Amino acid sequence: MRPYRILYHVTALLVAFLFLAPIAIVVLASFRTPAESGQPPLPPWPIEGASIDSYVRLDGFGASLLQHTGNSLYVALGTTILTVLVSVLAGYGFSRFRFPLKPMIFVLILATIMVPFQSILTPLFLLLASLGLQNTLTGLVLIYTTLQLPFSVFMMRNAFDAVPKEIEEAARIDGVRDLRMLVYVMGPLVLPGIVTVGLFAFLNAWNEFLAALVLLTDQSKYTLPVLMTSVRSGRFGSVDWGAVQAGVTVMMIPCLILFLILQRHYIRGLTAGAVK
Amino acid sequence: MTAISEIAARQEVAGLELRGITKAFGQVEVLHGIDLSVRGGEFVVFVGPSGCGKSTLLRLIAGLEEVTDGDILISGHDVTDDDPSVRGIAMVFQSYALYPHMSVAQNMGFGLKMAHRPKEEVARKVNAAADVLQLTPLLDRRPGQLSGGQRQRVAIGRAIVRDPQVFLFDEPLSNLDAELRVEMRMEIARLHRELGNTMIYVTHDQTEAMTLADKIVVLRDGRVEQTGTPAQLYDDPGNVFVAGFIGSPKMNLFPATLRDGAVHIGEDSWPLPSSLRPKENEGAKIVAGVRPEHMRLAGQEEPALPFTVTFPEFLGGTTLLHGHVAGDIPCVIEVERDVSAEMGAVLQITANPGDLRLFDIHGQRLR
Repeated sequence: MRPYRILYHVTALLVAFLFLAPIAIVVLASFRTPAESGQPPLPPWPIEGASIDSYVRLDGFGASLLQHTGNSLYVALGTTILTVLVSVLAGYGFSRFRFPLKPMIFVLILATIMVPFQSILTPLFLLLASLGLQNTLTGLVLIYTTLQLPFSVFMMRNAFDAVPKEIEEAARIDGVRDLRMLVYVMGPLVLPGIVTVGLFAFLNAWNEFLAALVLLTDQSKYTLPVLMTSVRSGRFGSVDWGAVQAGVTVMMIPCLILFLILQRHYIRGLTAGAVK
Repeated sequence: MTAISEIAARQEVAGLELRGITKAFGQVEVLHGIDLSVRGGEFVVFVGPSGCGKSTLLRLIAGLEEVTDGDILISGHDVTDDDPSVRGIAMVFQSYALYPHMSVAQNMGFGLKMAHRPKEEVARKVNAAADVLQLTPLLDRRPGQLSGGQRQRVAIGRAIVRDPQVFLFDEPLSNLDAELRVEMRMEIARLHRELGNTMIYVTHDQTEAMTLADKIVVLRDGRVEQTGTPAQLYDDPGNVFVAGFIGSPKMNLFPATLRDGAVHIGEDSWPLPSSLRPKENEGAKIVAGVRPEHMRLAGQEEPALPFTVTFPEFLGGTTLLHGHVAGDIPCVIEVERDVSAEMGAVLQITANPGDLRLFDIHGQRLR
């Protein structure tokens, strides 16, 4: 029994090290001095004293670090709110209401996952242009939400399906209907689903690169991933590795915080409806 | 004023009337014209095998399903098209259907809160109901922290707080273990006695039906087979189905022939006193029913059936003997515990002619 347990822990530690090492390397390297930042990556930690110089230089790219982080937050939060709003309503509808062609419409929504979104970037761009939303963060929010919805609607329908019908019926006898039902009774019960959908929407919007690169032409509107490419390609052809590490670190922070806060709900959301 | 009398004092006892209720799901009609009249304060139990439509009927009364045809009246008002919340009903579900994210107190007061009643009133009613059901120490708990019996009590408490004219119970005890079921059964009987409300109770368990009901409604395939007090249904079943459904173990049913003023089962016969002879043709095929507890070992000179024991079941006070008569007609008899019968033994059994219940070949009672 004991050797088995030791083996188990050693394996777990190795796997954890494998996953954590790149993150640790990036974070440590971002605190190297400018002279050191061009050195080979190993050992990753700063040798001649830590410095936040990389972050200062990162701030020099584009408008300002604050501005680009703000852009990213606007896009990610906007996408999250809109996705949650639409997918909760749609999931509730698909789960609990009867309407003609329901199964077909649902499959149609799911089928859009099969279309690689890169292939429809041009029509999306034209569509946004005709709406006057090209080169705006709001336009980007609309596109991200659209891409996020099929999966989210699917998730939310499953979450609502997992709520026993009797609870809704008890609430109807208690005099609750429609929107109040959603807010007071169903909403709290599908919270894990909402958290999962919101988290996915936030992370995907936060990290998305291609659509942002194509649709945003104004440098002051760049989101962090787009900013990072301009950092990556460097000024005058030279790559500022220190600034790249700093940028990656900055980009990781909100994702980590969100995930740590919400992971309990998130895991419950993914498994909801799997059993029972 | 005690909590129970405070709750009971506000009730005006309301009756319920169903007129020609039909219900179809798509093309399939599951209820075929149910007529029923329930007096105020009556405890009515709908009983029947699964799929007989008893739950559907209850859901129609609750307003959770729409009737296809017919009218529902609660204390004289037509509520057929009313929302469940304004019908003056409260329902207790089999799965309890508590709101998992609310405390016991919030669960019980939710209906009143949604009706925008003052906080003090909600608190007062919740406390009164909690007092009646001994839930006061649990008011701050969540349903997830309660046992099955406690959850069911909360569900009943939620119903009481609504001040309903009619209580509806949908198999409320099915999810409980045997011991708790007996306990909750007595609890519900006590509530009915103390509150005096009209209660409609759905179950497939005929013991629950017998012990709780003022009136039992036996349903089969969407039709009312018979309505009556538990004793009426037990002593005087109107047809073979009710005879077989009410009572445990089931009534023995023997295919028989009516000839020479006697009931012939296989080779053997039971003479009927003239007062008990049905007006049926000589030689008519009938079904003769006798309850196991009315069968006994025959004395000398008595008309008797030879009964082959296949399986004795010792119950403590009495023994049930499973076996068959006249070839392979299955039969169960209840005998004193000191009657020893081995497997394969052949006993002479009989019953008083007055305990025979005769049915025609279509299953209708012959009187």
